[in-house]
Amino acid sequence: MVSQAEAPVAPAAVSRPWRALRLRLPANLLLSTLSVAVMVGGWWLIAALRIVRPDLLPSPADVWAALIEILTQGYRGTTLWENIAATLSRLLGGFGAATAIGVPLGLWMGSNRAVNAAVDWIIQSMRPLPPLSYMILLILWLGTGDLSKGTLLFLTAFPIIVSASAAGVRGVKRQRIQAAQALGASRRAVFLWVVLPSAAPMIMTGLQIALAAAFSTVVAAELLAATDGLGWMVISASSFLRNDIIILSIIILGLLGVGLAALLRSADRLLIHWRGRE
Amino acid sequence: MTRALPAWSITLLSVLALTAAWIGVTSSGLVRDLFLPGPADVWSGFLELLDDGYRNSPLLLHIGMSLYRVGAGFISGALVGTVLGLGMGYMPRLNAIARPFIEFLRPLPQLAYLVLLIVWLGIGESSKITMLFLAALPVSAIAARDGVANVPPERIQVARALGASRWQVFCFVILPSALPEILVGARLAAGIVYGTLIAAEIIAGSDGIGWMIMDAGRFLRSDYVFVGIFIIGLAGIAIDRALLLLERRAVHWAGH
Repeated sequence: MVSQAEAPVAPAAVSRPWRALRLRLPANLLLSTLSVAVMVGGWWLIAALRIVRPDLLPSPADVWAALIEILTQGYRGTTLWENIAATLSRLLGGFGAATAIGVPLGLWMGSNRAVNAAVDWIIQSMRPLPPLSYMILLILWLGTGDLSKGTLLFLTAFPIIVSASAAGVRGVKRQRIQAAQALGASRRAVFLWVVLPSAAPMIMTGLQIALAAAFSTVVAAELLAATDGLGWMVISASSFLRNDIIILSIIILGLLGVGLAALLRSADRLLIHWRGRE
Repeated sequence: MTRALPAWSITLLSVLALTAAWIGVTSSGLVRDLFLPGPADVWSGFLELLDDGYRNSPLLLHIGMSLYRVGAGFISGALVGTVLGLGMGYMPRLNAIARPFIEFLRPLPQLAYLVLLIVWLGIGESSKITMLFLAALPVSAIAARDGVANVPPERIQVARALGASRWQVFCFVILPSALPEILVGARLAAGIVYGTLIAAEIIAGSDGIGWMIMDAGRFLRSDYVFVGIFIIGLAGIAIDRALLLLERRAVHWAGH
């Protein structure tokens, strides 16, 4: 996880040429659709010809049937929506708390050298730790309930968000601050109208990376110790050899991941419309 | 106040304060060493592990097993991902074909498909290494693809105008220009692979450093858990620094 927080420079700059390419070549959309169709077709063929045992690789129709089954009857006393909601609420709880505390702390660290000197070593020594490594301590201290999982997700997102916010403030051009001061801006005005907007792109990038990391972590934590959530569904289905439900859950998780990333990307475009135009 | 104390002394004070609090809380019996071992307990736990190993295997073997898995999964995933990504960047059609899978796989929590891989490949090495392969692949592919896409078009046009073939343009213009991004992607992938492996060992391991802390936790040996966490952190830093060194050596021209 070390390098994740060092990356903010890359993802922001990269997406543009591709967006242009996508719009220019609608034929590629067709090709993408075709490629997914071929994959599903191949999967269906392998299952239909019984090349692989059906309990190991259920066919697309089996997975569809599993979806209908879970939608109508639920899975072991829980509905699909409850499990999706459980995973998302853990994710957003931990991530939300990390954002609420991490962004102000990072901004403070970026603008105050003493605070930075006192806190930065703690943040930097948390960053290289894979979150699951201290999960066992959290379970020991806080029990197996949602408190330990929420804390885990908080700790996953927190150092990434703090580092990105502090780096965002440190990266503000001095001339810009000096120009505002020369024009008579107060400290408060400089912070609100110069520092914050200049740091915002990097903070948003940090939030995106932190959410992706927290999403992986929440599923891992649910595999380890939970009684609901999509991760729990996967591990529970595996103990009953219900591979159709495992595959269904993986597809739902993949779509959720893509959706969450897209959501933050469009929030980024909407809120930070000045990104890349400096 | 900022001027009175240099930054390093504030950091030192902060480290000392936290260490003193750790010693104070543990030695006063405020917290049972079952939950929070003191620095001395952790140190003696480390010496014990070094001498006797953990569960009949030397400590270095556990570390070695974890590093072997990370190495195998990372190298295979980063190589295949980079080659695929270069192709995707150079050929828009290949990009259209592979993109749905790469972008689906990229945010997918790795541990979710580990469960499926275990059902298919068994609980041994192959399921873990396949998972790590799949974790590194999309990250490297996207980095390589975007690296190629971000090559300044003038550079390619100049080479073409001077009579370079498609293949020469790829080898001598595109590849060197994309290399910095490829290597940044490799570091990102290594971090993800490492974190994923530790999680996998914790959830479904029978050896390795991640398994060690999970198992020690079950037996309430929190001194071993702390030693394990320190080792995991240090090994993570070492992996990242090694790749950073490689990056600096290989792309000394980056930023020009």
